[in-house]
Amino acid sequence: MSEIYYSQASQWQDFLDSLKQEFRIYLPQAKDSDYYYQEIRNSKFTFNPYRTVQPIKSFLFYPKEKVVEDLNSDQQLEDFTPTVVVGLKNCDLHSLKVQDFVFTPHLLKNSTGLGKEGAGFKEGLEIDALYNLRRENTILISGDCTGFKDVCFCLALEVLPYPLNGFDLNLSVLTDGFLVEVGSGRAEGLIKKYHKYFIKAKESQIAARNSKRQNLIDELNKQLKPQNLPPKDTLQKIVKQGYAADTWQNFSLTCVECGACNFICCTCHCFLLSDIRIKDKYPRLRLWDSCQYANFARVAGGANPLKRRTQRLRNRFLKKFDFFVDNLGLPACAGCGRCIEACPGKIDIREVLKDLAKNSVSSQG
Amino acid sequence: MPAVIEEIIEETPTIKTFVLRPKQSFSFNTGQFVELSLAGIGEAPFTPSSDPNIKERLEITIMNVGRLTAQLHCLTKFAKGLGIRGPYGNGYPLEEFKGREIVIVGGGVGLAPLRSLLLSLFSDLNQYKKVLLRYGARTPKDTLYRGLLNKWSKSIDVVTTVDAAEGDYKGNVGLVTTILKDFPVDVKRAVSVVCGPPIMMKFTTLKLLDLGFRPENIYLSMEKNMSCGLGKCGHCRIGKYYVCRDGPVFTYDKLKDMPDIWD
Repeated sequence: MSEIYYSQASQWQDFLDSLKQEFRIYLPQAKDSDYYYQEIRNSKFTFNPYRTVQPIKSFLFYPKEKVVEDLNSDQQLEDFTPTVVVGLKNCDLHSLKVQDFVFTPHLLKNSTGLGKEGAGFKEGLEIDALYNLRRENTILISGDCTGFKDVCFCLALEVLPYPLNGFDLNLSVLTDGFLVEVGSGRAEGLIKKYHKYFIKAKESQIAARNSKRQNLIDELNKQLKPQNLPPKDTLQKIVKQGYAADTWQNFSLTCVECGACNFICCTCHCFLLSDIRIKDKYPRLRLWDSCQYANFARVAGGANPLKRRTQRLRNRFLKKFDFFVDNLGLPACAGCGRCIEACPGKIDIREVLKDLAKNSVSSQG
Repeated sequence: MPAVIEEIIEETPTIKTFVLRPKQSFSFNTGQFVELSLAGIGEAPFTPSSDPNIKERLEITIMNVGRLTAQLHCLTKFAKGLGIRGPYGNGYPLEEFKGREIVIVGGGVGLAPLRSLLLSLFSDLNQYKKVLLRYGARTPKDTLYRGLLNKWSKSIDVVTTVDAAEGDYKGNVGLVTTILKDFPVDVKRAVSVVCGPPIMMKFTTLKLLDLGFRPENIYLSMEKNMSCGLGKCGHCRIGKYYVCRDGPVFTYDKLKDMPDIWD
């Protein structure tokens, strides 16, 4: 079992301040009722009760970046300053199973054993050097959820509102301080180095954490139960069975093809490569891409298997709930609800799944 | 890897073969694809049309259909800025073809990857029980590799057709499916390799099934938007597969239960 420490709020602040010497540090900052990561200089740590607006992928796989400096030379990739991100929740940690599967399959296999569990696990072919560099040099300090948003539906995907693995350190709020659970060797090293800020947690403190966790699950269930979301294990079936359903037509009526659902999604990973010219250099860019864009699957000559908006909405769901279940053994959705908040057309992933489930039942009956 | 154009061969009014010399020797299996880039313009997947036994040169036969290919068609010998990376995906499983009858069916520029396959087969022809080629082009002047087709017909069974005749053309007229008949092969055991535009592959597959070919013996080269080539960028998904990682060559039994594969 991993070590759990207690750190008073002021000691925790001192710990973060000390880390500034070695790391670039991002903390959640409150704005209205939301939290956004910001690089800190002197700001105080605020514990965010629920997930941030930005998905964790944006620290590892940037919205727009150079992947080749110059196609005509062998110039090497950027250096990366070791970074600490504080405040991500279990939905984001869970999403890294998907992102790691795509970009660094070797890490996933080593760390989670998912390769053995997931019946269909099929590794990607290559390690993505940029993602790997950032992943290996980014310390993830997660936190238990102490609240949730009305779009949160992690439990429907069997993702807990607190993490059991995948983090370097995890924070649980206690009176006047935090329980700090250690989840990696490198984090253990940091605790040792800054041991003056930590003492071993008492059994009673751990018991208090566990009961807070259970309370939050109960609260979240109160919000979720009336929604009657289809169970996780049925999602692949209902999405496949609903291939020809009216659902896609009905829900894509308000789609404006902005791609926000994909960009804000913690598991969406599709990208576009684009070659440009800057003076005498020819860099290659990598940009987040969206399967909701009309040309996403178009080939030279004009053929396009995702010509219609309905096909593209369906593609988003097939990718999440069919492709990834077959290839990784997990659906590519953590129930973070970001896509629900981001969609200007008010397309709600929960409503789409419910509609598919309804059709699935009626087609059987 | 940078590559230099050693030669450009005009095959038809819209198709050219680029003979490339990569900076270092380049190995691929027949049917695998490469990403060919032109600096500052872009990159696209192509299956080489040359003999994979030749490592220092690589030929790619390209039809002028899009933004990148239009620019490639403007290039001249020794042009700068070309690069290739790869090879990617799974090619044709030559080992499984050994001792069997092979019916190769091409449509239009789809003959390019098949040329690479044929050249591989020719390097060891007595390993295969029988090799047949059936090829259809739009018009006589769109017929690819005319000289080679003549040459090949001396050692294997070749039948060609065109959708529409013109000039003093005297050969077969009709879609490629019209020449898929009277095969001197045991269709239950023979393999078929199909490459061409999606609509041609669809009707060819249906015809082959009608004739008695087994789904697991029909090899299809699927064409999708393959950008990264590494199973990461997400564009080329069909069902549970990425065409770049799991294909581009698939046997029909793997695809037959998936909807809309020909779109």
